[in-house]
Amino acid sequence: MKRDPLGLLALPGVGYLALVFLAPLLLLLWSSVRGPEGWTLDGYVRLLGDPYYRGVIAASLQLALITTGGALLLGYPAAFALARARGGWQVVLFALIFLPLTVSIIVKSFGWGIVLRRDGILNWALLNLGLIERPVRMIFTEGALYAGMINVFLPFMVLPIFAVVRMLDPRLPDAAATLGASPWFSFRRVTLPLSLPGVVAGVSLVFSLSVAAYVTPSLLMGDRYMTMSMVMAKAFLNLRDWQLGAAMAAVLLAMALAVVVGAAALQRRLGGR
Amino acid sequence: MNDQHLAVRGASKRFGTASVLDDLSLAVARGEFVSLLGPSGCGKTTLLRCIAGLLRLDAGSIAVAGRDISALPAHRRNVGVVFQNYALFPHLTVAQNIGFGLRAQGVRAAEAAPRIAEALALVRMAEFADRPVTALSGGQQQRVAVARALVVRPTLLLLDEPFSALDRKLRETMQVELKHLLREVGITAIFVTHDQEEALVVSDRIAVMNAGRIEQLADPATLYQRPASLYVLDFVGQSMRLGGTVSAAGLGEVTVETRLGTVRAPGAFAPGSRVVVAVRPEAVTLTETPPGGRNTLAARVSEVSFLGSRTQLHLDLPAGEDRGVVELPRLPPGIGPGSAVPLAFPIADTMVFPAA
Ligand SMILES: Nc1ncnc2c1ncn2[C@@H]1O[C@H](COP(=O)(O)OP(=O)(O)O)[C@@H](O)[C@H]1O
Ligand SMILES: [Mg+2]
Repeated sequence: MKRDPLGLLALPGVGYLALVFLAPLLLLLWSSVRGPEGWTLDGYVRLLGDPYYRGVIAASLQLALITTGGALLLGYPAAFALARARGGWQVVLFALIFLPLTVSIIVKSFGWGIVLRRDGILNWALLNLGLIERPVRMIFTEGALYAGMINVFLPFMVLPIFAVVRMLDPRLPDAAATLGASPWFSFRRVTLPLSLPGVVAGVSLVFSLSVAAYVTPSLLMGDRYMTMSMVMAKAFLNLRDWQLGAAMAAVLLAMALAVVVGAAALQRRLGGR
Repeated sequence: MNDQHLAVRGASKRFGTASVLDDLSLAVARGEFVSLLGPSGCGKTTLLRCIAGLLRLDAGSIAVAGRDISALPAHRRNVGVVFQNYALFPHLTVAQNIGFGLRAQGVRAAEAAPRIAEALALVRMAEFADRPVTALSGGQQQRVAVARALVVRPTLLLLDEPFSALDRKLRETMQVELKHLLREVGITAIFVTHDQEEALVVSDRIAVMNAGRIEQLADPATLYQRPASLYVLDFVGQSMRLGGTVSAAGLGEVTVETRLGTVRAPGAFAPGSRVVVAVRPEAVTLTETPPGGRNTLAARVSEVSFLGSRTQLHLDLPAGEDRGVVELPRLPPGIGPGSAVPLAFPIADTMVFPAA
């Protein structure tokens, strides 16, 4: 077998990842099943046996699913608009979608505060439109959390879909139309399957990021709302309960992996027809 | 033509301030092959896209088989298109590409399967049915594109430079093959091309386009022998052309003074008009004492090109509106660059156009 010398160029990157990512990860997984008295599943038993922790896992999963779904619903058409926009419009759309990435989460949450407070802009607007009679509590509600999460993670959905859609040949839908395909048929059979690699990348990214979210939920919800990452941090830093923290990390990893693998499998099934 | 299958009337299309189709009309008979011939950017693709319904006309109408389809969206027109570079669906196999239109139109699988098989056989791609289209050569992709368009039985087939992605040798084979295949199917077809030789090979009639208009629509022989304008003269085939001034006119004939001598030609122009006289290369012979009814000129050879079955002489003329190409079956001895040659050509074959 001939060896590709260019493959050697990947070595530094792979080595770096192995050092800073793979090794700690393996160490973590190891410590989740290794106690002072040898092999144990104690961490997992305490985690999954406790209704409180099960509730946290369920809440994190729900948050990640809603965030991913919302980002997909908003991001898929946005990626198309971005890819189809010409000249100046593309710059404007790009800025609108990606500027949030450049703004620190602290600044963003301050901004949400201004919008969502009892005397905030949204309440003021709704009051003046006569849609509500008195100010509604918005901040520290789950609705506000979902809106904030989608705001934070939307660019990670748009970018990979945009990258794929931009390369789609615009004559393919034209060809479909001349063959008698309605716009919907053409979308379902041509555009959608060809854009799936971008969707899979976007869904994988946003789900992995949002299931592990820490900062945004704590800023928008305070202490009353616990995600898996918050439990993990508490276990490691406050309780010094490494086994519990590592078990939670393993569950988190398994969930993210399941979605990434599942999305890729779904693409293979839908893309081939 | 009385049996008009396609009738485009007064078609206009602008992109911003640029007028791309300019009050264009075109009529094509049932079963006829018409080529749209013109330089890149003259609006050929735009006209095809308007006929297919992928673009809306700003003004004018399009009728197929007597029915106005101007207002219909592309997917309700049943006008087939073979796109430049084919636009095959990259995620589908050959058979799935061909079956796409049938499926889109709700044809049941049991009925679709034999039609797909028939279309595959028609373009001799049966053994490639389950290959991904991305694994095909250019010529094979073209055949799949043709089969995909034909299988839904369109009323009209539009082909946008279908041979431009193929190399020269393959192109010549495919031109004849495709013409034969479409004739067998009995479909009306419009070929877009910027290659005049291709237009001559594949079509019954050729529409020469210039800046969003049809300059002349005629059969190849008429186009070559009786071009309607200098533009058509230059676009189709070669010629010897000389600028000059009309010195005398009468009885359907004009006398023109050119740089190389006096030329007579059938035509009607007032004395004093600036004109261009032209003759096709093969009408010219090298004789000092020609039979009657001929123009005679004296010229100098600048270059000789041997083309196998014939030899071209390029004449030494100043740059500008004059262009000199003469073709001979074989080169007489003693003639080469620098030789003075006597030219003779029939008055009846001499054309005269108003100077551009
Ligand atoms: N969608 C479009 N927007 C703006 N200008 C266009 C568009 N499509 C074509 N054009 C312009 O119209 C002219 C004719 O284009 P086209 O019909 O593609 O020419 P052809 O096929 O004869 O080469 C060109 O100058 C081209 O730049
Ligand atoms: Mg074109």
